[in-house]
Amino acid sequence: METMEKFIDNLSSMDLMRSEKMSLVQLIIPVESAHRAVSYLGELGLLQFRDLNAEKSPFQRTFVNQVKRCGEMSRKLRFFKDQIIKAGLLSSIHPVVEPDVELEELEIQLSEHEHELIEMNSNSEKLRQTYNELMEFKIVLLKAGSFLVSSNNHAVAEEMELSENVHSNHSYDEASSLIEQEMRTADQSGLRFISGIICKSKALRFERMLFRATRGNMLFNQAPAGEEIMDPLSAEKVEKTVFVVFFSGEQARTKILKICEAFGAHCYPVPDDFSKQRQITREVSSRLSELEVTLDAGIRHQNKALTSIGYHLTQWITMVRREKSVYDTLNMLNFDVTKKCLVGEGWCPIFAKAKIQEALQRATVDSNSQVGIIFHVMDALESPPTYFRTNHFTNAYQEIVDAYGVARYQEANPAVYTVITFPFLFAVMFGDWGHGICLLLGALVLIARESRISTQKLGSFMEMLFGGRYVLLLMSLFSIYCGLIYNEFFSVPFHIFGGSAYKCRDATCSDAHSAGLIKFRDPYPFGVDPSWRGSRSELPFLNSLKMKMSILLGVAQMNLGIILSYFNARFFHNSLDIRYQFVPQMIFLNSLFGYLSLLIIIKWCTGSQADLYHVMIYMFLSPTDDLGDNELFWGQRPLQIVLLLLALVAVPWMLFPKPFILKKLHSERFQGRNYGMLISEFDPDAEPGSAREHHEEFNFSEVFVHQMIHSIEFVLGAVSNTASYLRLWALSLAHSELSTVFYEKVLLLAWGYDNIVIRLIGLAVFAFATAFILLMMETLSAFLHALRLHWVEFQNKFYQGDGYKFKPFSFALITDDDD
Amino acid sequence: MGFLVTTLIFSVVGIIASICSRICCNRGPSANLLHLTLVITATVCCWMMWAIVYIAQMKPLIVPILSEGE
Repeated sequence: METMEKFIDNLSSMDLMRSEKMSLVQLIIPVESAHRAVSYLGELGLLQFRDLNAEKSPFQRTFVNQVKRCGEMSRKLRFFKDQIIKAGLLSSIHPVVEPDVELEELEIQLSEHEHELIEMNSNSEKLRQTYNELMEFKIVLLKAGSFLVSSNNHAVAEEMELSENVHSNHSYDEASSLIEQEMRTADQSGLRFISGIICKSKALRFERMLFRATRGNMLFNQAPAGEEIMDPLSAEKVEKTVFVVFFSGEQARTKILKICEAFGAHCYPVPDDFSKQRQITREVSSRLSELEVTLDAGIRHQNKALTSIGYHLTQWITMVRREKSVYDTLNMLNFDVTKKCLVGEGWCPIFAKAKIQEALQRATVDSNSQVGIIFHVMDALESPPTYFRTNHFTNAYQEIVDAYGVARYQEANPAVYTVITFPFLFAVMFGDWGHGICLLLGALVLIARESRISTQKLGSFMEMLFGGRYVLLLMSLFSIYCGLIYNEFFSVPFHIFGGSAYKCRDATCSDAHSAGLIKFRDPYPFGVDPSWRGSRSELPFLNSLKMKMSILLGVAQMNLGIILSYFNARFFHNSLDIRYQFVPQMIFLNSLFGYLSLLIIIKWCTGSQADLYHVMIYMFLSPTDDLGDNELFWGQRPLQIVLLLLALVAVPWMLFPKPFILKKLHSERFQGRNYGMLISEFDPDAEPGSAREHHEEFNFSEVFVHQMIHSIEFVLGAVSNTASYLRLWALSLAHSELSTVFYEKVLLLAWGYDNIVIRLIGLAVFAFATAFILLMMETLSAFLHALRLHWVEFQNKFYQGDGYKFKPFSFALITDDDD
Repeated sequence: MGFLVTTLIFSVVGIIASICSRICCNRGPSANLLHLTLVITATVCCWMMWAIVYIAQMKPLIVPILSEGE
């Protein structure tokens, strides 16, 4: 026993087994080198700062102005990014790496760029509006011109009638030319027009409104504009209609203008003279082409500016983010009494101390400071954070374990065993080497494209799948192994390892369907014999096999858990736990369920017909009775009585001694100090972080109840956890049955027909069902149940899981969504 | 091939695998111990699975009864 203990002690420690040793350090940094020191520490990424200003609000902290400036700069950078995306330039910009710029310079540059961009934007807005208005004017001229020509002809006929009534006393009109007469009659009869353009959807209501307002004394002509025009105000393309309204009288004019305004119709003056129309059209066209040229030049200028910004954009964004995080960290530090130094506290791993000191020295030198940075270790009151150094491979498993609870500082890390047992238990529930090969292909694809996929941005599902690619790899390898053992390839058995061990009793195989085959040689060398598949007694045999297998695997894993609790107790020098928790727990679990496992193995080895349910139940109900047919080995009855007594003794052994001994130890330690202090010795504000002895009250009833809960949980849990492992049987049965159904009822059925179309359809349905139900749903299901078995049944034997994770201040860990 | 022979084969495979992992990725004593633990755990798990299925078939209480149409 002692040599074994010495051997265990001499084994070099495994880093992943227990958290790295952490120490609480204090930094005293002179102000001039503070920013640089924190930046270098951020690059190193091995120190977790404690927030010494937790009670202060964000606006009471020292560096709040700098943080605000960083926030303002990141707002400007977001604005630039939006503008670049809107201009559609994002894909064509390749970032250029240039040496770092100082923060103040960057701020000035950013505000200049922003100013320039805003100005360019507003200018181009104005130009665009003018352009659109001129476009509308041109279309109005075009369409309205045609109305006026035709309406002049109409007007002539109407005017003739009017003129006879109204202007009969103007005799000198007969001398003037016909055109002049028309003009004057047109003028004197007061027939005027308003031309404009309006949205097509509003045209009908507009016309009706005008009709009502002028009491029918108007003529409304409209023509569609033909193409969609950009509305100057809303900057959208809408279908518009050109209209001309003929009316008479000043009142009608004001009414019509108001209605136009209300309906958002734009009115443009069109001269009725044809030559003048042409002249104005020419002017408008020339102005339009000028504007187009100007607009194009403006857009090119804007794109050039945006491109030049885009070269540096990612670099600037990273810089601003880093600076913000540096100032946030600086805000966690305190000023000391002289106001010339900043004091900070943090956790760092012991192996990193040299690197941190070197980084601080570099900061002192680079900032030309006279005073060095003081870095020393402090004693800690609280428990340190937990830090495991993981690589690509073990990282996924550590995250699986951490999802349940982060390990307490320096307790045993279940991830070491989870790396193998988790894929193994998954495979026990998934066992089919055909499906395993599919999973293996998927995992290999993910691993082969590692470098490419890690730079892309993935959806949350793909990200989880990619993060767990090594877990998937091991899961698939173990699935292939378990599939070979269960002898299932898409539920089809193969004779890979030789012939079956069963054959017919005689040459005619007459009673193969009634009495069955017989076993004529040694069992099938690897895995389940292929003769079982499809037989009528397949399920009774496999169920019995898998249930017993689940119990054996479960008892093994639970024993591993209890042994890990022993190693924890040894590490923390807690001999009380070893003597009064580990030993009775081992005795209890193994005298009941370890004995059951032994019975299972003996029954298998001897081929006895004993009923194990009966044996176990009557071991409790009437242990002294004669066993009769259920006797598996000589001496079974006295052994059962002994084991039962051991189990019964183990329960008070784990319940009672520990609280009493703890009470005795506590009273020995604080002998004579049971009365209260006159002067309060423990002042948390005096020296932060120095270790003091806590004079705790020992609440006996609390400790006793805690121990009772722990013992009851273990005793009842022994039964329920063992039964819980039967899910290994249940899921593997479900998988095998689903696989059989898809194979026999889909593929074989479709293959039975001679028609190639039906065969192809059957193949397709089989492929889809396998991919979605078996490969995706069953994988997730088996993953979940294997996870539960680890989190609950394995870890509740030894894992406390109430620590907190080490989160160092590191530039590499700043994520995008901190913006 | 008997039970003991195959158990021996499993243990030999386990030893060879641990030697290979020591040769291929020798990264310091702590990582070596981790790799050794992983290899031993995997070997033990695989052996247990095989042994359970093998022993269960050594002296079976029921035999395959073929179903109709086979």
